[in-house]
Formats: sequence, structure tokens, C-alpha cells
Amino acid sequence: MEINELKQIIEALLMATPEPLTEARFNTCLGDEESKIPLKEVISELTSDYEKSGRAFFIKEVAGGYQIVTNAEFEPYIKGLFSKSGKLRLSQAALETLAIVSYRQPVTRNDIESIRGVSSDSSLRTLLDRKLLEIRGREDGPGRALLYRTSTEFLQYFGLNSVKDLPRLKEVEDILAEDDSELV
Amino acid sequence: MKNQLHRIDLEMFEGPLDLLLFLIKRDELNIYDIPIAKITGDFLEYVDLVKELKLHSAGDFVLMAATLMKIKARMLLPIEANGDDEVEDPRTELMNMLLEYKRYKEATSTFSEMERFERPYYYHIPTPWSLQQEDNTAILEDVKLYDIMLTFQYLIKNYEEPATHSVAVEEVTLSEQVGFLNGLLQAKTKLSFAGLLEKFDSRLVVVVTFLAILEMLRNRQVKVIQSKLFDDLLISRGSTFGN
Repeated sequence: MEINELKQIIEALLMATPEPLTEARFNTCLGDEESKIPLKEVISELTSDYEKSGRAFFIKEVAGGYQIVTNAEFEPYIKGLFSKSGKLRLSQAALETLAIVSYRQPVTRNDIESIRGVSSDSSLRTLLDRKLLEIRGREDGPGRALLYRTSTEFLQYFGLNSVKDLPRLKEVEDILAEDDSELV
Repeated sequence: MKNQLHRIDLEMFEGPLDLLLFLIKRDELNIYDIPIAKITGDFLEYVDLVKELKLHSAGDFVLMAATLMKIKARMLLPIEANGDDEVEDPRTELMNMLLEYKRYKEATSTFSEMERFERPYYYHIPTPWSLQQEDNTAILEDVKLYDIMLTFQYLIKNYEEPATHSVAVEEVTLSEQVGFLNGLLQAKTKLSFAGLLEKFDSRLVVVVTFLAILEMLRNRQVKVIQSKLFDDLLISRGSTFGN
């Protein structure tokens, strides 16, 4: 298949895809036809095309795939398309809960609450409502508590390719070292 | 001292651990060697405020206050030296909790930064109508338990109990409702949950019926489909129906 034909196919897939277009999904879409050029390469060609022709969007690598995203400079105009609540920022409580889940997943509500020392029902609810977290099964132990995990939407929301891309959680020693230097 | 505390913005603490970290930072205390008597005093003053204001999280603060007082009491007891056994500092557990919480609290600033950074980017998302299929009761395959719970909450909110004043005890059991649903599904292939609600005249019956549906769902006696969130739940026969 010609690179130009591939570029068109991928562009069409990116326009229509409801979630990040992964290499695997791309191959499924191609079916029997085979692409000798890896997806990544075609994407980078498309990206430079968009740059050269001054498009208002670009292809973002996110959640293990690719998606079309508008350029940041158009935010003031795009905002008008959505209700205000759509992009409300997360509260401190919700961020704490999210941080605990993303580093320790899968976790139960009890795990979260014992770290935060405070009931976390309403933050969990907010995060589930916004699809940033999802329930994935139950714990084996007594009570069979629900297990929480981060979702694909979580990766999109924070612009991450995978949870492995999260900055490393500081070790307790690091925090203590910083505290000491503050005192000096 | 009291005035100083009153000036603290109540909303700024996410919980008792957060408050303790604040007090430690404010008074430049050593987290390895927390002066329990002092911090308990400051903490209790704050808890009184929380109780007065009947804040949602008052219980968590009271629990921590009790923990602090327990530690304080144990610190006052003379330590019995018994051989080589090392005596554990009663503050150790609290210290570990504070340090662990601090790690995650510090990570939230990174999340907040990422959130702010990603805000101006909008995804090219398919329009809602391109997702909707022709049949309005199309199957949304991915109905999660959470969606069902939300829908139930939504439907029951709009459900008004008729204003009757009978005082008879209502007897309704889970197995009765399972039988009831089984009977209905013998006659019809699909049941509307909203339709069922109309038949009942008490909230209790509605709740028990909902529990019956969950029970049958678990046994695969029924399937539940929904075309979109908050839409009616459609109940149909499952793989083990009638067994």
C-alpha cells in the first residue's frame, strides 16, 4: 500500500475513532490488506503535513494510541461549545483519591480511606461519574470489596500514554530529606 | 492561640491527617519526635470547631482525637524495661500514617499541574447521534453495575409514594419478588423497570424488587439492558431462566 493511501486511511480512522487508535486496532481495521509501514511512521508523516499546512489540530499520542486533538490556542473559542461543568477542575479531595488509586491500583475504598484518614465516598463518586475511575472486580478477601482502577479516560484527562508514565511517587526518605533541607 | 486557630480556613483541610501535617509545618515540629501533648491540645481545639459547625467529616476528626489522646496517655506511663526487648514508641504508627499520607498529598500537585496543562486540548469525539443506533432501545452492551445503581437512584428519585395513610405492616420478601418477576417474564420477553415502578405503591416494594433483579442478574436468570445512562432498564430472560 502506498504511503499516501495509508495516510488517508489513518486520517479517516482518526476522525471516526471513539477512543485512542492503537496499533492493534489499526491492523484489525486494515483486515487482509497489509501495511508494510508501521503506524507510528505514518502518524509522524501526517503530523508534519498538519504542521506545514497550518491545521488547527494535531495527533496526540495518548492511552497507548493516537487521537486528534485541537491546538491549545483555540481553547477560548472551543469553550463556548460546552457547558461550564464539563471541564470543572477536580477538588483536592478528588485529586488525593485519584493519586492513591493511580499508584496503588487495584485498591478498595478501605485502602484509600486508611491512607487519607477520611471518608472518601463522595470523591469516589465524583471520579466514577467523570469516568476517571472504574470498578474492576472484587477483592478475594472477606467482604469481597469492590476494586477501583483508573480508566482510559483518566489517561486522556491527564494526557498520559500509560500509567507507567506517571511521575514516580516520592519515597518517604526523599520527603524527609526535603523537609530537612527546608529547615536548614 | 485560640484566635490563631480560628483564622484557619476550615475548608482547607481534607481530613485529620491533613490538619496534623499543617500543625507540624506551622510550628516547625519534628515529624520523628512529635510533641504529642502540644499537638493534641491544638488538634482538640480544632475538633471542637468542627463539631460546632457539624462538618461532614466530624467523625473522622473525633476518631483521630481519640487516637491522639490514647498515645498521649501511653506516653505518660512509665516504660518498663524488660530485658533486651525494644519498646516501641507509641507514636510510630501515627508517624507512618502521616508520612504515607504526605507522599500522596504531594503527588496531587503533579496531578493538578497535568490537569491544568491538558485543559486547553479538546479531543475529536464522535457526536452523540453518531453513537445512537436507530432502535431507541438498542442494547448498550457495557452496562456496569454502577450504571444500574445510578439509574435506580435516578428512577426512584422521581418515584412518588401515593399519599395513603394505612398503617398495616407490609410484608414483601426477596423470593416473592423473584417469583413475581419470573411469572411476568414467562408471559413477556421484556419488562420495563420504569413500567414496574408504576405498579407498586410503596418504596419498600420497589427496593425489594430492585434487589430481586440484582439477585436474578447474578444467577443469570435475567439480562438487563439499557440504551443510555439514566434510561429505563429493560429486563429480559437470561441464560439460566426457568431452571
